[in-house]
Formats: sequence, C-alpha cells, structure tokens
Amino acid sequence: MSGHSHWPEWIYIGVVVALLVWVGAEAWNLERLVEHVPEDAKVIKVTGQQWFWTFEHEDGTKEVGELHVKKGVPYKFEVTSTDVIHSFNIHDYVVLMDAVPGRINIVWFVPFDEGEFPIQCREYCGLIHYNMRGTLYVEDDA
Amino acid sequence: MVLELQKPRPIWYIMFSTHHTDIGLLYMILSLSALFMGGALALAIRLELFFPGAQIIADSMTFNRMFTVHGTTLIFLFILPFASGIGNYLVPIMIRYKDMAYPKLNAIAFWMIPPAFALVWLGFADFTWNAYAPYSVISAPGPAADMWIFGLKILGVSSILGAINFVVTILKCKHPDLPLSKAPLLAWSFLTSSLIILVAMPTFAAALLMLLTDRLGVSRFFDPAVGGDPIAYQHLFWFTFHPEVYVLVIPAIGFLYEIIPRFSRKPIFSHSSGVFAFVLLAIVSFASWAHHMYATGMSFTEKTVFMIGTLAAVPASAMHVFNFLATMWGGRIKFATPMMWAIGGIALFFSAGAGGVVNSAMPLDFISHDSYWVVGHFHLFVMGTIAFGSFGFLYYIFPYITGRMYSEKWGIAHFVLSFVGAVMVFFTQHVLGLYGMPRRVFDYPPIPEWIAMNQFITIGAMLLGIGAAIFLVNIIYSSAKGKPANMDDPWGLGGKYYYPYEAKNPHHSH
Amino acid sequence: MVTTKHPVMRNIIGLFIVLSILIIMPSLQYALAQGDEAGEYLDRRVVIWNLFFRMMTVAFVIGAVVSGTLIWLIWRFRESHPKATPTKYEGTGALDE
Repeated sequence: MSGHSHWPEWIYIGVVVALLVWVGAEAWNLERLVEHVPEDAKVIKVTGQQWFWTFEHEDGTKEVGELHVKKGVPYKFEVTSTDVIHSFNIHDYVVLMDAVPGRINIVWFVPFDEGEFPIQCREYCGLIHYNMRGTLYVEDDA
Repeated sequence: MVLELQKPRPIWYIMFSTHHTDIGLLYMILSLSALFMGGALALAIRLELFFPGAQIIADSMTFNRMFTVHGTTLIFLFILPFASGIGNYLVPIMIRYKDMAYPKLNAIAFWMIPPAFALVWLGFADFTWNAYAPYSVISAPGPAADMWIFGLKILGVSSILGAINFVVTILKCKHPDLPLSKAPLLAWSFLTSSLIILVAMPTFAAALLMLLTDRLGVSRFFDPAVGGDPIAYQHLFWFTFHPEVYVLVIPAIGFLYEIIPRFSRKPIFSHSSGVFAFVLLAIVSFASWAHHMYATGMSFTEKTVFMIGTLAAVPASAMHVFNFLATMWGGRIKFATPMMWAIGGIALFFSAGAGGVVNSAMPLDFISHDSYWVVGHFHLFVMGTIAFGSFGFLYYIFPYITGRMYSEKWGIAHFVLSFVGAVMVFFTQHVLGLYGMPRRVFDYPPIPEWIAMNQFITIGAMLLGIGAAIFLVNIIYSSAKGKPANMDDPWGLGGKYYYPYEAKNPHHSH
Repeated sequence: MVTTKHPVMRNIIGLFIVLSILIIMPSLQYALAQGDEAGEYLDRRVVIWNLFFRMMTVAFVIGAVVSGTLIWLIWRFRESHPKATPTKYEGTGALDE
C-alpha cells in the first residue's frame, strides 16, 4: 500500500453495500407479494404460437388475438407455447411471462380499469414477431 | 513495430509474422473493420425505425438478419479482437518478455478469426446473437444458421487459445524481478479476463454442438416433446455469456487504468484495490447468469439467488470508479483526446451500472424484460464504456504504433459527437423501454411517444455515425501524413511514454 | 490488506452492525407479515412502478453525487486552473514506469 489512507474507500464500499442490501430487500419483498396468486383467481390458458395468441377461459371458450376480461376480477394466466419461445406481455398492466414450449408459466393480475390495452410478444420469435399483437378488453361486469 | 508506416514492410511480412506487435496490429485492423461494418448495420437499423412501417429495409427477415449480424459482429469481431490486439501489443512489454509465450499459437488464434468473420457475414443468420432454442433449431433458416454456429465455434476456440496464451505469458514469462502483484493493471485485466474465458467458454462450445446436432435431427436436447428443455439452452448460453460481458468490460477498465493516471500526472490511487476488484469481479461474474432469465418461469428462490449474485458484482465495479476518481483527485489533468474518452467512459460506466442495479430487482423485470430498456442498458456498457475505453486507448497508442500524432482537434470532435450521440441514443432507449416498446422489432404501431423517441434516437445514432467517419479519416490520414510524434512524450506530460517504444521486432529490419 | 486497528474505523464498523440489526429485524418482520390479507387484491401496476420510481430516485441522487464529483474534479484539477500546481510525482521519474 502506498502510504495514503484507505478510509474513504472503505466507507464508500460500506455505503454501496448498504444500498445494494436495500435494493435486494425491497425487490425480494415485492416479488414475494407479486408472485402470491389469489386463490379465487380465474384461470386463462394463454398459448403463443408463430405469430398469434390464443386464450382459453375456464368455461372452455376460446379467443384468438383478443382477450375479454371482467373488471375487478383476479385472473391467473397459464402461459405456454406450441413452437418457439414467445413472451406474453400486457405492458399497461405490467404483465409479462415467457411462453416456453413444454412449460406452463404463471402470472396473475387484476384489471382495475376498463378499456382496451395492447398485448404484444416481447421475445424474438421470427418473421412476424414485430406484429404478434393482440388486444385486452376490460369490461364492466354490470 | 513502431514507425511501421514510415519504414514500410511488404504486407506479407506482417501477415506471416508471429511477433506479438504484428499480430496485435492485425487484430486491431480486423477489429476496426468489424466496427465499421457492424456500425453501418446499426445505422441502417436506426433509419428503418425512424418512422413506423417499412422504410429502407425490404422486409422483416432482412431486418432480423441485420440486427443479428450487428450484435455478433460488434461483440465477437470488434470488442474481443480489439482487446486482444492491445493485449498483444502491450502485455509482453509490460511483463518484460520478448513475445507472447506461444507465438505460433498466437498467430493461429488470430487467423481463425477471418474465416469465422466470413461465415457470419456470408451466412447472415436471423436468430439474434443469443440463438435461443427452439427457434434456432426448428425455425431459423439454414444454411445461415449453421454457418453462424460454425463461425461462433471457431471464434470460441480462437478465444480459448488466446486466453491460454495470455495466462501463460503473464504467469510464466514475466520478468523475475517483477512480482505479479506489481504487474500493471492492464496486464492484470488480461489475466483475469483470460481466466474467465477459460472457465466460461467451454459451456457455450458444448451448447453450440448441441444446437448443431439438434438442427441436424440426430439429437433432441432442446425439444420438450421428448423430454428436452429449451430453457437448458439459455442456462448454457448465459453461463458463458454473463461472465463474457465481464470479459468484454475488464480490458476496457484496464485501458482506463492506463490512461487516467497518465493524464492526471499521478500514479493510480490504489494498485492493490484495482487488482482486488478485478479478481473479485472474475469470481462473482459466475454467480449471476440467470438474471437474464427471470421471465422464463424461474422459481422465487432461483430468482432471489441470482439477484443476490448480480448485486454482488456491484461493489467491485464501484471500487474501480472510486479508484478512477481518486486518481484524478489532486492531479494536474491534461484533457487530450484519450483522457476525454476515459472521462466519458467513467460517466457512462456509472450510468450503465446504476441502471443495471435497478434492473436486477426482480419485480422490475416485468417492466423492462426484452424491452428497449435492455437495449439501452447493455449498449451503455458496450458502447459507452467498452468502445469509449477502446477509442481512448487507440488514440493513446496511436503514436506508439505509427510514430505520428493523430489530429487532436478531430479526435475531440469524434469524442464530443460520440458522447452526445451515445447519451441521446442509449438514455432515450431506456425511456422507450419504459413505454413498452419491445426490442428486435422491424415495425411498431404509430404511438406518438414511440415515434418521437425513435426519431430522437436515430438522430443521435447519426451523430455517432458522423463521429465514426471523422475517426476513420483521422486515423488513416494521420498515420500516413500526421505530424511526427515526440516519441518520449507525445502529449507533453513531462515524463516518458509509459512503455519503451522500441519494441524489438526481429522481422523488422532497418 | 485492510487493517481495522484504527480505533475510529473499528467504532464505525461496530456502529454499522448495530444499525443494520436495528433496521433489518423490524423490516423483516414487517415484510413477512405482509400479503396475508384476504379479499384485497394487489395492483401490480402500482406496486411495481412504485418500486421503480423509488429506486430511480435513489439512482439519480447517487448519479448527481458521482457526476458532480467528476465535474468538480475536471474543473478543479485542470491544467489551466489558477491554483494548479505540479503534482508531487512530476519530475521525480515516478511516472516513467
């Protein structure tokens, strides 16, 4: 060591580590909450394939490229794919989950606001990846 | 090697040479060619995205091929060979040996790259530089995909051979009077990054073979129908390529460790903390690979483990930033071109790192995953840190290679355009990601915010392009017609050039 | 390489340990108690963007400190600064290595 003090460096490292612990703890806590699926959530099976989305509701009705849900009801998406990897994304509701062939991945949400929201594919899946889009319609129950 | 252009030799003398400075020169020429080719693709991509709809690129397949080759070229054919070029030049001199440990192996490692370059460019594959299965197995058209796989295979072997050479040179050939702990930090950066390559690269080599046999139909490693798993490919890929991003960035940090003390007219604040941070980074680089895969359906526990591993890499990077700033503190700083690049590099390195910390928080992946946020984030590293460090070092070593001075005025113009351009492009890309634009798209819906940001980014990219054009003219003109440099002290810093410029090249007859 | 023989340094490390226990324990208890309520659904938009903006606030504050330091260093230690003096290493040969 070349004689000068290393004090400031250790305090600096202490601050950095403390901040990282804070980031990690906050993230850990929130992720735990976000992954906690409500028990009364309705299941929607989401299937990605080149280059469209298919949705199957609990009552067996199927939709292609469009998804109609009720406001205020929790939904649990079971996301999978039949060909390559896609990524199911409703950006306005911060819903995102990869659709992986051979796996069923789970993500849930509650649509709190009525309206139309774009659904898109976030994982590169080939020729028409850029236009693998759909629409989420949130409707009032009444 | 020095004064090459003043006392020219026939080109084949250089091509068939095994001397470390000749091979270093070849590496650098190849890597700069790749930089301009890959950069041209980036400009085309940006022009295409200036408006929604098709502009200059005919169809999405061409677009997909272009960003695939853009990424592959700049990572494997610009950043890595550029670092190898500098390492070849300076590592033997820094550890005071006459050459690399295995000169012929060194030449072989270099000459494996041009065929791989040709395979990647003639094939022009479309499955992104990740080549995720099962897209790369069942959907990517051949022979482009197969050519890419063979190209990367060759590059991987070349990279392993180069790494062996650096490790042996530094550990076994250094001068007995020079303790390893006192070896310059640039040499340390090559030692640590080479060790990472040796541990990480074989995994990707295996993954490429599995991909190839899957494509040929003789195996079904990644096919879920028969019990394979596409996610296994991602684990193999990122086990190599997360450490690999540290392989890319560590030599760039080494470049900054060379430039900053020199132009601050002070020694490095703490040599030992630099060494410690390199070694720490090399170890923790293996603990974070699956943070690229939060969205693939990993369990909460897996995500937590990899988030902690990711955060653990931050203190080491923070130590480097501290070291840079503390070195400048109390110095007398000369703002010549290399120092400008180094300072810009520190600022963007910090921004990239801070964005990375935010990114590593698991729930935020639902916002940022595979959006333009990610594109902005890693470009701040590869362009803002690595390329900035590399440009700075190229200006720094320019008098050493050519015996001539580059144009300071145009060097600074290159820096200013690139810095403004990089901030415009990569910071805006973060915001565009927050607005939900996915990456790797040929076209996007006409949402006003998306259009405005894409246009702003394209303008920034054009500034980067103008800077690169200035750079090209500057280095070509200055190496032929530039003012002869004062070889003892090219920047008037009041000290000798760091390393003896009379590198003894037995093939260079005077 | 680091010695904690310095008494003030030792005190600071001790203080950090005490503080971290004081902060971490209650927040862990608080964290583990959350999310058990029934009937109320989490709005993932709100909680995730909230976390994002809190972290960005901290990131920008740190960014201001780091870039402020960098800009101050550039301004103060430039060659043309009125108080610029040669560093103690100049002319000693210490920089020739």
